Amino acid sequence: MSSYTISLLNETALLVSFQNSIDEIINEKVIALKQAFAKNNFKGYIETVPAYASLAIFYDVAIVKKNYTAATTAFEFVKNFTDQLISEINFTNTSKSNLVAIPVYYNGEDLEYVALLHNISAEEVISTHTSKPYRVFMIGFLPGFAYMGKVDESIATPRLATPRTNVKAGSVGIAGFQTGIYPLQSPGGWQIIGQTPIKIFDAKKDNPCLLQAGDSVQFISINKDEFEKLNEY
Amino acid sequence: MSIKIIKAGVLTTLQDGGRSGWRSMGIGSGGTMDIFAMSVANYLAGNDEGNAAIEINFPAPEILFQQDAIISLTGADFLATINERALPIWRTLLVKKDSVLKFKQPVQGTKLYLAVHGGLQAENWLGSCSTHLKVGAGGYLGRALQKDDTINFNKTHFSCNENKILSWHVSQHELDKIYLPQNNIRCIKSTEWDLMNEVSKQNIISNDFIISNQSDRMGYRLNSKPLLLQQSTELISSAVDTGTVQLLPDGNCIVLMADHQTTGGYPRIASVIKTDLPKLAQIKSGQSFNFIIVSLSEAEDALLAMQQTLHEIKNASHLNIKKYL
Repeated sequence: MSSYTISLLNETALLVSFQNSIDEIINEKVIALKQAFAKNNFKGYIETVPAYASLAIFYDVAIVKKNYTAATTAFEFVKNFTDQLISEINFTNTSKSNLVAIPVYYNGEDLEYVALLHNISAEEVISTHTSKPYRVFMIGFLPGFAYMGKVDESIATPRLATPRTNVKAGSVGIAGFQTGIYPLQSPGGWQIIGQTPIKIFDAKKDNPCLLQAGDSVQFISINKDEFEKLNEY
Repeated sequence: MSIKIIKAGVLTTLQDGGRSGWRSMGIGSGGTMDIFAMSVANYLAGNDEGNAAIEINFPAPEILFQQDAIISLTGADFLATINERALPIWRTLLVKKDSVLKFKQPVQGTKLYLAVHGGLQAENWLGSCSTHLKVGAGGYLGRALQKDDTINFNKTHFSCNENKILSWHVSQHELDKIYLPQNNIRCIKSTEWDLMNEVSKQNIISNDFIISNQSDRMGYRLNSKPLLLQQSTELISSAVDTGTVQLLPDGNCIVLMADHQTTGGYPRIASVIKTDLPKLAQIKSGQSFNFIIVSLSEAEDALLAMQQTLHEIKNASHLNIKKYL
């Protein structure tokens, strides 16, 4: 068992919240619950939305009410179903995450700033950023935008005071202890340290998003020539 | 078998009921701002609710019909005309080839829907023809309609001798149930309601909320007497939905609308009930409304009642136009 609360997001979605913190072990519970719903759900179930420490469950009120008449509200039924499902999950037995290697040409416009802030060299920022795989905690903000972490304290850097109006697709950035890749051109305030040649979002594919919550990402430093050879943009 | 945009409007887009199953990938449902009006537009044109309709804002486009068509206009009233003759909304309309549809002035509401019998041909992206403006996918080339765009509709055997307004229409009583009283928007308490201080829990009911002009398909920003939290709280990002009322650090609220992001980090103090989203979508910027807090069961019942109303309108509309098909 695991401590959690269930609340109403609205009349078509409920929210299971674990502790309010950014933590791998908590996020593993979120993903375990998401996977449990994928295997075992109910009539009227639509989809789940995992976040750092919560999972939203979306459902069709009319279908739930029609099929499960014992509950007074659709919410009550989905809440009971969720409680039951959580009680059956073995949270210690988490599934192995999918490891994705992402090449990065570390030439970002904020690389020098991040180095300067921490009184280290740009090379040290790069070697630290590529020193370990990061967990994809959740996807949000933009289609396919993966919130990953946590980066080492020695490179953790606050967001820009004033966001840029235009960040290129493929830009790799840091925001606090998080790291992420812009899937689309967008306004944004993350400190940009590099550029990946790989499309992490491609609207033309059946599944447009390369990454999903629960994946692991290993960044690999590449040079300009390799970047140009691999460039998909 | 097509219509042609002969003058562009502001953000004229193809929209259906939205996509589902992709929120965990950061791709929200999107779709129509007013599910009631869009569904009824389709029914009056003899379609199912799943077809894409054209969502029109004012200034509205001018549209040339290159084929005889059965159409309908619902939602906002922009004083529509066909070949300069006035057209009512919420009716089935027969339109002759070479007719021009124009809109003179916004009288009521903000979102008008045009549906065409047989359905408009649109790009289906991830299970929906709704236009995803940020990605540039779905609908018509993933973008708003521009001058000279031609939108095909599916081949039908329909032809007519003249423009005609059919007499059957959606009853005012049914419309009033959805759109009146105009300044009351019902909501239920959401996940972080209890983070508000006691005064703000009262103020959210007594405040007038004015829709700011910084409002769009992603969200309606509201101006009001500021609402406050009991103490400043740092939240980590979590799921949001259409209708979620987020409390911003400056004390103002934003109601998330169709093109909202899938996750957010601001307190979710309340949620506009699904049944009142059509009404909210039609309120103009600068106008004010009040929130009314209702129970979860009232919210669920209201949603079922709206779906039942739509079902009845569908049956009646389809029966009404049967002889023209």
